[in-house]
Amino acid sequence: MLLFLEQLLNGLQLGVFLFLVAAGLTLIFGIMGLINLAHGSLYMIGAFAAATVTNWTGSFLVGLLAALPITAAVGMAIEFVVMRRLYDRDHLDQVLATFGLILFFNELIAMIWGRPPLFMTVPDILNGTVEIIPGIPYPIYRVVIIGVGVLVALVLYGVIARTRVGMLIRAGSTHREMVGALGVNIRVLYTLLFGFGAIFAGLAGAMAGPLMSVQVGMGEGILILAFVVIVIGGIGSVRGALVGALLVGVVDTMGRAFLPTLLKTMLPPAEADGIGAGLSSMAIYLLMAVVLVWKPRGLFPAHG
Amino acid sequence: MADHSHRMGAITRKTAVLAFGFVLLAALPGIAHLMDEPFLVSTFSRVLIYAMAAVSLDLILGYGGMVSFGHAAFFGVGAYVVGILAHHAAEGTTVLGLAGTNLAVVSWAAAVLVSAGVAAVIGALSLRTDGVHFIMITLAFAQMLFFLFVSLEPYGGDDGLMMMGRNDLFGIDLSDDMTFYYLCFIALMAFLLLTRRLVDSRFGMVIRGCKQNERRMRALGFPVYRYKLTAFVIAGAGAGLAGALSANHTEFVSPDFLHWTMSGDIMIIVILGGIGTLYGPVVGAVVFLMLEEFLPLAFDSVGLEGLKEHWRFLFGPILILVVLFARRGLFGLLAGREARDG
Amino acid sequence: MADLILDVRHLHKAFGALAATDDLNLGVERGEVHALIGPNGAGKTTLIAQLAGELTPDDGTVTFDGRDITALPVHQRPHLGLARSFQITSVLMDFTSLDNVAMAVQARAGHSFRFWRRARAERALRVPAMDYLDRVGLGARAHVRVSALAHGERRQLELAMALALEPRLLLLDEPMAGMGPEETQRMVQVLKALKGEITMLLVEHDMDAVFALADRLTVLVYGKAIATGTPDAIRANPDVRRAYLGEEGGA
Repeated sequence: MLLFLEQLLNGLQLGVFLFLVAAGLTLIFGIMGLINLAHGSLYMIGAFAAATVTNWTGSFLVGLLAALPITAAVGMAIEFVVMRRLYDRDHLDQVLATFGLILFFNELIAMIWGRPPLFMTVPDILNGTVEIIPGIPYPIYRVVIIGVGVLVALVLYGVIARTRVGMLIRAGSTHREMVGALGVNIRVLYTLLFGFGAIFAGLAGAMAGPLMSVQVGMGEGILILAFVVIVIGGIGSVRGALVGALLVGVVDTMGRAFLPTLLKTMLPPAEADGIGAGLSSMAIYLLMAVVLVWKPRGLFPAHG
Repeated sequence: MADHSHRMGAITRKTAVLAFGFVLLAALPGIAHLMDEPFLVSTFSRVLIYAMAAVSLDLILGYGGMVSFGHAAFFGVGAYVVGILAHHAAEGTTVLGLAGTNLAVVSWAAAVLVSAGVAAVIGALSLRTDGVHFIMITLAFAQMLFFLFVSLEPYGGDDGLMMMGRNDLFGIDLSDDMTFYYLCFIALMAFLLLTRRLVDSRFGMVIRGCKQNERRMRALGFPVYRYKLTAFVIAGAGAGLAGALSANHTEFVSPDFLHWTMSGDIMIIVILGGIGTLYGPVVGAVVFLMLEEFLPLAFDSVGLEGLKEHWRFLFGPILILVVLFARRGLFGLLAGREARDG
Repeated sequence: MADLILDVRHLHKAFGALAATDDLNLGVERGEVHALIGPNGAGKTTLIAQLAGELTPDDGTVTFDGRDITALPVHQRPHLGLARSFQITSVLMDFTSLDNVAMAVQARAGHSFRFWRRARAERALRVPAMDYLDRVGLGARAHVRVSALAHGERRQLELAMALALEPRLLLLDEPMAGMGPEETQRMVQVLKALKGEITMLLVEHDMDAVFALADRLTVLVYGKAIATGTPDAIRANPDVRRAYLGEEGGA
């Protein structure tokens, strides 16, 4: 039971990560109609920026805070140079051009930092454990991640519920003309929004640093998971991204933790291990397939 | 337009380009030996195999309007079927109650059938949606199969599976690179003939209609889902055959065959060569793989060793420029206005 | 009882609180041209979408030629003899006019799981397609890509495709939309020639065209059919005058 609760927390923590990545992705799709594969690159850039600055200054907090403006700046730069030419193009063009960006950024990072992974350590103050559930000592750092995720979800909720931009998002307005109703320069607004979305990816990447290895290509795995999240939640819906991310996080973690054990009660150990490993790595995709059969547009289909 | 050129019967720019390309590929082993670069024969076998995978993608992407970002799944499944059957033949064991085999006829037919089956399942689910959903879902299912093969320890997991040699095709010695090249050449030409007839047939006209205006096709009385799914399965089968050939070419299979960058590469080949042209992807495969082969060497020889390993650093922006400014693709540049089918 | 080819009973469709189709009854007799008129927002487009199967009604039944088709999928309706044209021209832009009509002929000619013969070389598809193009006066433009056709020509093509389905009931959703006076006149002539041969349900804003073609009219207001009758009866109907023609209480 305790193990179950611990794994549930791990699942939540993975879900929070996925939410941070998926939120930016789905916002950008919802508003600009753009599918951006290079969102994973922003996550990677956030991680590298945080790791490098942390290692320079010795302060994780400084590293984390530095990563945010850096990813925002990179995000706005690619919006300015490439993305704004893609808003009126079909999805195939968007996929290909942003795929080109991935190739570019992966090699750029490899040329600057090399292929071997960088390592980041958790700062001392966050390096202990805490018993948020009695009997389960749980790493403080992971608790902090969950807290940050909740905070971001609240901020986003506030933005969407209370601002004019948010109103347009809720109204499902994907058309540039409708955003024009705001009476501001759309081009500038889009650049800023893109930077805003990039910050989430950068934040997730920076926080992932101490938990996973910081290396070239780290963004793609998380990008595809974020796609699964978005397909489950419904494209363009931030609420869907939150629910989808938590579902995927929990199902993936639980599957890996318990499926092999569960199968051992039914099958010989060797086979159970093999099948268990295979099944648990497929669990979230099977979840996605089930949702697709049930609701082809996702759990919370956005309008329009 | 097709009616038109047909009636003229004269040698058009397109037919001239096609004839030239055919002769070039047919004579390639000879040219390679004259140039004293025999390794080119094996390199070009790979080109032909990738071309076949790309043509199969063009069938659904260029003619059916289905932006599948998971085409490597079918390529990889085809390759694994051949690898796994060869593995069991070598060990003398069985898989799902069936004995392994090194016989090309059996093994490749199995590869095509299994890939088609996998495409049927993935397609049946993915085609319930369209647009961005479809892109993400095909990508996700391909990733699922990637992880499945990574987790299959009996077949090498991450490291993949070595084969003891190429399959046995009626006693023909496929280990000879020249022989293998011509096998790939014949397979590609047959596949091109097949897909050419297919896209011009009644079935082909239906999927091309779906690309242009699915709602209209439905209102005309076509059950579009069935036709699109059939096209998806045929494309999966074609990619599966290419995968089977690829396993034979490298005598090795690994999860990298299904990696999502492989799906990206196949898609790039289609776009680079010219989408909706069938022949374009062949041009695209030649250019893409030659760039991959020679761009690093070119960087090296002009003193940019730093870029040698990082040729994609340049290729990424090139791809973006192609997408933004050169949508007709290379075949469009070569063959002119008639390159693209309506 | 009149011989009804289309019988719509108590049809209901709401979007949120807005009832776009409200307890609607409509009968189209075999052989007639039945016009559907009403102010903007009366629910004409929603009704056509339900008749064509793109929207499923919340309640009520649609009976076509004695068969309940309320829940029948879109693609099965043409095979029963129910064809439509679109208000906003909906054709296959990369194909020629002839390709487009041949596609409609092909749709009628059994399944299309035929993978080898070149469809464009099949006389069984091309010859009838050419006939339909001639009928709507587009024969000379058969080999032109649709993307190069003028707006009015595309409207004609739209009609030719619907005719090629050899329907027993044709749903025409504003066939004259966006046409100039001359083009409209030509379209009226084409439709007049079809009168008696094909039953038509015509949605149209151009009142001259409606009164030139229709045997009967139904007036739709706020999702309800408020009156049905001959053109003369409708002209004289006080309810219609009040609700539709905007004449405040003549009595």
